Amino acid sequence: MEQQLFPNLDRYQAILHQYGFDLIRALAFLVIGLILMKLIARGVHTLLGKTPIRPATSATVVNVVKALLLLVVLVTAATEAGLDTRMVFRSLLVVTLAAVALIMLFRPYIPSLPFKPGNTIKTGEWLGKVEATTMINTRMRTFDGKTVFIPNSKILNDFVVNYQWTPNRRIKVDVFIGYDQDLTKAKQTLEALMIADPRVVAAPRPVVYVLNLKPGYIELGGRAWVDNKDYWTVRCELIEKAKFAFDRAGIKFANNKLDIHRYDGEAAYGPHSDGQWESETWPEEMRLMDQKESEVPS
Amino acid sequence: MKVAEALKVMDAGWVKKKKGYRVYFETVSGDTCTPDMMPGEKDPPLTSDVVAWRSAWKLTQASHPENPQLDGAQLVNITVVDDEGKPVPYYATGSYKIFNRREA
Repeated sequence: MEQQLFPNLDRYQAILHQYGFDLIRALAFLVIGLILMKLIARGVHTLLGKTPIRPATSATVVNVVKALLLLVVLVTAATEAGLDTRMVFRSLLVVTLAAVALIMLFRPYIPSLPFKPGNTIKTGEWLGKVEATTMINTRMRTFDGKTVFIPNSKILNDFVVNYQWTPNRRIKVDVFIGYDQDLTKAKQTLEALMIADPRVVAAPRPVVYVLNLKPGYIELGGRAWVDNKDYWTVRCELIEKAKFAFDRAGIKFANNKLDIHRYDGEAAYGPHSDGQWESETWPEEMRLMDQKESEVPS
Repeated sequence: MKVAEALKVMDAGWVKKKKGYRVYFETVSGDTCTPDMMPGEKDPPLTSDVVAWRSAWKLTQASHPENPQLDGAQLVNITVVDDEGKPVPYYATGSYKIFNRREA
């Protein structure tokens, strides 16, 4: 009966009898090896976290260690299973080389994320620092402390601003002065301020432009280049220092103001010089408003 | 004179770019007065004079006998110096400023 149901049972029993112990041992090696690999990788990650190495470099080192350990575990497990070590090693080598060759061949056609962990990016409505990327999503930390997981598919279909693609960024220090102020002195003051800052790069040189002659004020635009990491602090400090420097130089900033001109002639609508209102001259809607107000019961 | 040469003249003679700033102070403990700097001379200087002046002011505020970190000592003649150790004018007023001034 058994022979009818399982015609190959004897063969399986024979194989298990011959190789069963080896297979179990190989499986145990594989499981223990994978656990050890994870523990060692975690240890290396913790150890590197205490050093001044950048997180992106640290992640790469951990991944390399993981890959090497995985190779060792696989070869050991395969050897324990009774396979020829040289054959296993050669097979893994062939698979690795084939994978590398395929990646190199098709790399230009593989969609890749235009940033690395550690970069400051803006995608969609989110602005922050990339902490990690996986095959599925990107983990980003915003500057107000939120952790956002953004699907890679969304990032690939949206615009991305990578603020660290280039090493430098340009700072805008726009100030507004009145028409009665010394324009040349204002330009000199702002330029000297930017040149003196150690974080402002020497080339391209800082420049001050007269951007606009607006009704009521002159718009000056200071432009200076700094390293990406210094952008925000230098921008804020230059604005602060511009305020003090202009105060010292006696240059007044323009304020929002409204000029009122008095007209002593006859008003088009409203009371005449004798104090009497000429209702005939009022527009139709004003007359209607007057009518409505008079209808309101007191 | 070529433009590049003129630019070199301007860079050398007009606005000098500092390499960094340090907070200079003297620690007075009993009869001894020890000059010190923050960051130390072997460490890289601060790149911001705003931060340096702010730190100088905070050190001044923290320098009182109740501060356990100072162990009874006092921090005096607190000011900001450049990478060469020369005093730097306070950016807000344009003049030299020393907090907790104490004559030697």
